[in-house]
Amino acid sequence: MRVAALTLAGIKLKSIDQYQSGLDYLLKGSGIDLVVLPAYSALLLGLETGAITHYNDFDSVMRGYLVQNEDWHNLFLNLHSSLAAEFGIYLVCGTTVEKPIGKNDGSPADCFYQTAYCFNPDGKICGRQRQTHLTHDERELGFSRGEELNTFTAGDLQVGLVVGNDARHPEVGRIFSLCGADLLLHSGALKSGLNCWPQAAGMWAQVQQNQCWAVEAQLSAIIAGKILGASPAVIGPCEITPGQSGYIARGYPESSIVTAELDEPARQSLKKNYPLLRMLSPHAYSALQGSRNR
Amino acid sequence: MSLKGWKEKLFQRYMIWSCRPSRVTKHLRSVLPRSRQPEPADRRQIKVAALQIELKLFKNPLQYADEMHRLVREAADQGAQLIVFPEYNNLALFGMLPGIEKMEKEDLREKEAKAGKEGKGGASVQGKGDDLSLADLFRYISPAVKPLVHTIFSQFASAYGLHIMAGSYALEEKGEIVNRALLYGPSGDLIGSQDKVHLLPMEAEWNLKKAASFNVYETPLGCLAMPVCMDATYYETFRILEKSGAEIVLLPIANLEEYNYWLALRGIWPRVQESQVYGIKSALVGSVAGFTFTGRAGIFAPLEITPGQNGVLAEVEPFDREAIALAILNLEALDQLRSNHPWRDSNQQLYKRYFPEIYEGKDH
Repeated sequence: MRVAALTLAGIKLKSIDQYQSGLDYLLKGSGIDLVVLPAYSALLLGLETGAITHYNDFDSVMRGYLVQNEDWHNLFLNLHSSLAAEFGIYLVCGTTVEKPIGKNDGSPADCFYQTAYCFNPDGKICGRQRQTHLTHDERELGFSRGEELNTFTAGDLQVGLVVGNDARHPEVGRIFSLCGADLLLHSGALKSGLNCWPQAAGMWAQVQQNQCWAVEAQLSAIIAGKILGASPAVIGPCEITPGQSGYIARGYPESSIVTAELDEPARQSLKKNYPLLRMLSPHAYSALQGSRNR
Repeated sequence: MSLKGWKEKLFQRYMIWSCRPSRVTKHLRSVLPRSRQPEPADRRQIKVAALQIELKLFKNPLQYADEMHRLVREAADQGAQLIVFPEYNNLALFGMLPGIEKMEKEDLREKEAKAGKEGKGGASVQGKGDDLSLADLFRYISPAVKPLVHTIFSQFASAYGLHIMAGSYALEEKGEIVNRALLYGPSGDLIGSQDKVHLLPMEAEWNLKKAASFNVYETPLGCLAMPVCMDATYYETFRILEKSGAEIVLLPIANLEEYNYWLALRGIWPRVQESQVYGIKSALVGSVAGFTFTGRAGIFAPLEITPGQNGVLAEVEPFDREAIALAILNLEALDQLRSNHPWRDSNQQLYKRYFPEIYEGKDH
């Protein structure tokens, strides 16, 4: 499977047409089977196209977005459904704010989630994932936590979506992997100017302890003065990557796209010879549930 | 070959005799300083040392004691209040076994591989037709090693007024072998121990016994825990320790692989970032009997409280030679970070939904 992670750097966003052309340029005829867009993609595109009101600071933008969100949310999903079908790919559209009002799915009426969606090559939603761990700022804004992690099929692989801050919580990768995920798709948005280590502590670490693949898309953009930018990457177990670095492909914040081919037989062979997950010791994990002492 | 013949039993008695506490104590009395009072602990400034030890074999247990003492003295002279020794710190005592040099030439590692291909578990140490494993050797020397290790590290800790994590030792316990880390306090008491929970495939083949829990010990230097090597491959270890109050996690390692920066990064460094504790990694390096150990001892902290925001407070340069890493830990800064953390969260509903059922069938 050939996969790609996008940053949205270099793609003009002043209109939906411009956005489509930008993706068209990067993806059409590229042989890519699966693409991941970064977090805040719906917010950024909404702001740039004027669908969402602009404010001077990030918090106000987010609060305004939460009020105006509903129509834009549906439009954004329809757009990416069409794009997935047009390109004939699996497409993770990044994140949007999901308000389950009236959806009768058991969620409380007044809650909202940072949610990523994946569309299959027919343009149908094949995966939806609410962020399960919130940052301090997200809690302040009133976001709710998702309480499920569901895998789905993309090609021959089982896939899990890792949304935003979930990358730094190893429970997420472990649950996905024990549910059979081969590939984790991460939509992220980190503030610019950080070194590479927060990313290594996130998806890179989750991949190494679960022997899975990951496609890490990071947003490169300025939203209401907040500068976001980190490196897109395709990650695999160290043993089957160049220089044993764990990175199959790695870009810069200003890179529009990174792509890589996943060598699944090599990963299966590694797992057979060194089955990390079969060497877990759950008899010692009874304390995993429950709160922290501090 | 068996270790149950009369010659082997006699030699085992000789080893026990030569490692007896009274003999070792008498020797140490001549070299150790008079007992020092520990410095009062300041949670903002705790100086710690991670040792990287180059594996050498010692025929004489007193030479082993001298070598361990040299390392303690070096760290103590630089102000360390907590010293951390590596995993399998009793491999050096295989030097007491007669014929070990011959075994070295025969290259146990090759035998291990060959035994693996032939479907036999463990390393054969005497050649064709023999079925001794390293575990058998650990079991054989254990009655001598246990009192020796306790005597020397207890006396080092009280003589210098320090906390010493003596490393881990393959010891016999009620007929089974465990890989046990030992923690001594400034009074000379053994204040804690931790048996390895996650075993390497090789250790599983030796039938080492896995521990069923993780321990945390409250000390004047903070709450300490000491999982062993492979335990740091799994986030669960550090999450449980953190939940149990651990502030500083001491990790003895003995990595049997060629050194690679990224491979070495996979253990304690990400675990420290996930669980927001301090981490101290001590490493056994060098070669014996075809086994080559590599590593870089170091002292790690959450990105947010390291000067380069890289999670590293100190790390030795060589991966194959003796070295020492020293750093100052600030537990108040750690408390502050934990209490107002920018990205950490806990989702109890999610964990209740999946844990512990999701692990079913994964205990091997």
